[in-house]
Amino acid sequence: MRGTVGKGAVMPNELILNKEHLTGFLRKIAKERELIAPIKNSYGDTLFEVISSVDDVSLDLESRPAMPPKDFFLPPTETLFNYQREGKQYRFEEVLPDVSRVLFGLRSCDLWAILFLDVVFQENFKDRYYLNRRSNTILINIGCHEPMLNCFCKSAKSGPFLTQGYDLQLTDLGDRFFVEVGRPRGRELVDKWDYFFTSATQKDRDEQYEIVLEAESKFGQTVDLDMATSRLINHEVDDALWEELGNRCQGCGGCAYVCPTCYCFNIVDRPVSETQGERVRMHDACTLAGFTRLAGGYNPRQERSRRIRRRFYHKLPFAIEKYHRPSCVGCGRCMEICFGRVDMIHFIKMVCERGKKASQEASLRLGEILVQAGLISREELKVALEKQADTGKPLGIQLIEDGLTTTKEIALALGCQLRIPETAGTEG
Amino acid sequence: MEDRAQTLVRKMVPNIYQPYPVSVHGVKEETGDIKTFTLGFKDQEIQNRFTFRPGQFVLVSVFNCGEAPISICSSPTFSKGLQLSIKKMGLLTGEIHRYTEGDEVGLRGPYGNGFPLEQLCGHDLLFVGGGIGLAPLRSLIQYVLSKRSQFGGVTILYGARTPQDIVFKDDLAAWDKEEDVQVTTTVYRDNPTWKGEVGPVTRLLEKATISPSNTKAIICGHPAIISYVVFDLLKMGFAEEDIITTLERNMKCGVGKCGHCSIGSKFTCMHGPVFTYREIKTFPTGF
Repeated sequence: MRGTVGKGAVMPNELILNKEHLTGFLRKIAKERELIAPIKNSYGDTLFEVISSVDDVSLDLESRPAMPPKDFFLPPTETLFNYQREGKQYRFEEVLPDVSRVLFGLRSCDLWAILFLDVVFQENFKDRYYLNRRSNTILINIGCHEPMLNCFCKSAKSGPFLTQGYDLQLTDLGDRFFVEVGRPRGRELVDKWDYFFTSATQKDRDEQYEIVLEAESKFGQTVDLDMATSRLINHEVDDALWEELGNRCQGCGGCAYVCPTCYCFNIVDRPVSETQGERVRMHDACTLAGFTRLAGGYNPRQERSRRIRRRFYHKLPFAIEKYHRPSCVGCGRCMEICFGRVDMIHFIKMVCERGKKASQEASLRLGEILVQAGLISREELKVALEKQADTGKPLGIQLIEDGLTTTKEIALALGCQLRIPETAGTEG
Repeated sequence: MEDRAQTLVRKMVPNIYQPYPVSVHGVKEETGDIKTFTLGFKDQEIQNRFTFRPGQFVLVSVFNCGEAPISICSSPTFSKGLQLSIKKMGLLTGEIHRYTEGDEVGLRGPYGNGFPLEQLCGHDLLFVGGGIGLAPLRSLIQYVLSKRSQFGGVTILYGARTPQDIVFKDDLAAWDKEEDVQVTTTVYRDNPTWKGEVGPVTRLLEKATISPSNTKAIICGHPAIISYVVFDLLKMGFAEEDIITTLERNMKCGVGKCGHCSIGSKFTCMHGPVFTYREIKTFPTGF
């Protein structure tokens, strides 16, 4: 398959868009829908912005925008209703958003975050405001060939490239984009303006694959999100850790505001006049003091450490329990905004390292018992501990695999130590 | 440009945040700072559609004051409207306390799980309430009394700060006259005319004749009261799953989205507000 696809034909799922055609394609889109893309402004900040004229802006498809795209689905403040009172009559009039948009140049992590929000706002009670915006927004992401300093989407399994969920996914191949067609909305776009695209060749595919592999190997941040989650589930995190995080958190809510999946909100009334007002929804954050405070002053999460604990439990084990995925997409924005290091990367590292320290201490204790019992020599213990540090296996398993001892011997030695009678240990 | 998907959302997805107008049919002064409002929907069709279980709550809108979650204190079997007992605490509750017959508020719901009626059937019931905490219990008590044959003996223990703070005085007196219903009221601080019990509500537990193996306990009150009562009930031999309480949390949406009422991995507005002690025990923030 090579060359242009004939007019009217169904476009294949993998296409090529020459870079010189990008502006034309975007110009067409902008004529029919509101176009939103990452723009580098005159201060050098990259942010998602509504583009009125494609030719007048400088697209930035290299860096991750400083703010997530959630504002386009959950605005920082939005009017849900206008209400009025005439005489005794008190009425609410719905204010429903009416948008039709294309979000172009999303990073994979941000697109994955929107898919997470989709689940939250569609489950049980469906949120009409969110769905109305979302149902008429086309999502086009660009895979990241160069992860940024604080990115860890690979650990969060939300990038650097996606295999599903996008309408179109782009890969930068230098002089051209490799375009993957995902959901039907993406197909509609490429079918409509098929003259911008040619079908991809095997060479293009190979090149794209190479870029994906290379990108995956370039991450500076690798954190073990799964291990941190399992420690949280098993309550293997000591109170001192929460205290430390609570002490360092300044309760500014920044981590929640820059998080692409944090969706907690508040609803308040804004009086406009003696007879009218607006009911407004606005972003809120679980790290703020008043978030759980009740009328009368009682607050179930009075201490800051409790609020931090809530935040991380919600983002990792609770989200996984409920939605089978963490509500962290590894974008690293919380790390950039928090000087107190109460961010996801430091948190995961803290949880994992403290756990590691505790397990090393446990290994040392076990080793000592086995040496005292005369089952292994001190030299053998040293070698096994070094090996174990590499393999990550529990010390007991390492010793057994090396043929230095057996399950039964370990059980006996531990039994003596703890003064319990011989357990029915089976020969390992 | 609205496309097909958007049209579908508009047609198929009702607005979960839409308050419906209700008017105040009656106001009863319970105490110096608690009033019971009897409400009815303006739209008869909505009124007919509105069904609830005891223990559920509604979100009440008051003009220019926002919304607040309030437990329904009347029984679903009560035909003369929906009743809410509201304590004057802040802006919204202060404003509604000024309302009289004919004034309108907004209402959406009902929300939450409500009391597990199926599990209560056939058992003796022990109600322990503190202060305004009697409100959600009242809905269930009246329901139970209207379906008397489905339930066993009923014991109601109620504690208030002072004799002036006792809510639902007429109801308490009426319930006490019913067959196989025992009502005891205590106050924390008495006055010269008070003839009843004095002391915390937990003291009433010691005197009550209850068989923990066939009784379900339903508690509502300030978190501190709940925790003392639960402690005593466990000592008496109540099983953790037979101790049922309804929790108060900050709520904004009522539909499991806004995050405010989260408790452990659950949302009070969706999985609660009614929980058994067995469930509550697993929550990091307790009551």
